[in-house]
Amino acid sequence: MTRSDRSWRGLMTRSGGSRSAPATRSALQSALAAEHAAIYGYGVAGAHLKGARQQAAQRDWAAHQVARDVLEARLSSLGAQPVAAQDAYQLPFPVHSSSAAAALAAFLEDGVATAYLRLVALDDPRLRAWGARQVRASALRATSWTGRAAAFPGLAASARATTSAPRPAAS
Amino acid sequence: MTFPLLAAGCKGVGALGTPPLPLPDVAVLDHAITAEKLMIARYHAAISGAPAQSALLAPLLAQHQAHLARLRSRLLDPRAASQASSPSPRGAAPPGSSATSGLAVTLAALQAAEQDAASALVRHLAEVTPSFAQLLASIAASEASHALLLRLRGGA
Repeated sequence: MTRSDRSWRGLMTRSGGSRSAPATRSALQSALAAEHAAIYGYGVAGAHLKGARQQAAQRDWAAHQVARDVLEARLSSLGAQPVAAQDAYQLPFPVHSSSAAAALAAFLEDGVATAYLRLVALDDPRLRAWGARQVRASALRATSWTGRAAAFPGLAASARATTSAPRPAAS
Repeated sequence: MTFPLLAAGCKGVGALGTPPLPLPDVAVLDHAITAEKLMIARYHAAISGAPAQSALLAPLLAQHQAHLARLRSRLLDPRAASQASSPSPRGAAPPGSSATSGLAVTLAALQAAEQDAASALVRHLAEVTPSFAQLLASIAASEASHALLLRLRGGA
């Protein structure tokens, strides 16, 4: 169990009701939706990677699954129905190579960071702190994929989030 | 003579314009700006001492300058911050110390400074306004990424 998981368990037991429960639920649902998209996207990316990079994709995929589980548990504890994953998501660009797979992973991470920044804007100090740790974790994963750092992880993506983020594919 | 509140139709101080930042924001912003200036000074010193590393360090320096500009934009009077004296870095290599061991020490010092800066930015996250908290968390994530790059490429 990671340090982040332990702190989340503490949050689950200590955090009481909030005056801003609708905002909390909305931010948690956004983060969960981003995690669903990331889990799908890492599955696509991993199929185009080999060796150590594929192992890295599996590790990051697992990290997003853990985050998905804690978000679902948190939402359930608030009496909310966690948003479900879609069967498929439309990718922001074609992924047919290892370089495109790495770019997709970085893209997914920035989208996840954007979603967690909504938690950072909530009143609950524990959710703020947890959201900030998740933003940091996403930024580090993105940097490990691209070899570059972003000046404002999560903030730059917010402007384009409505137009190019991975979204449910049309059926 | 017309008093401002009367001119604003007695709608409260909000009608007079953008209210000043809450006090916690001012104190945290002041610390964050000082920390960014210190990081910028560290990078300038490191690049002067190891010009061959500018391909690694210059992009990180540029991001710190972007952080500083974004932080300063939250001041009611950005000139106030720009007129303040710049802090001097401690632990950065002096210009000319281009030996391999000196380079490793410099990169390790920068890595540690980035980690410290990232931790300091989120220390007061609960005290500030939501949008400022988001900016601090984002900059902290960026600086943690800098530390990772310095470790990966610098071999520290």
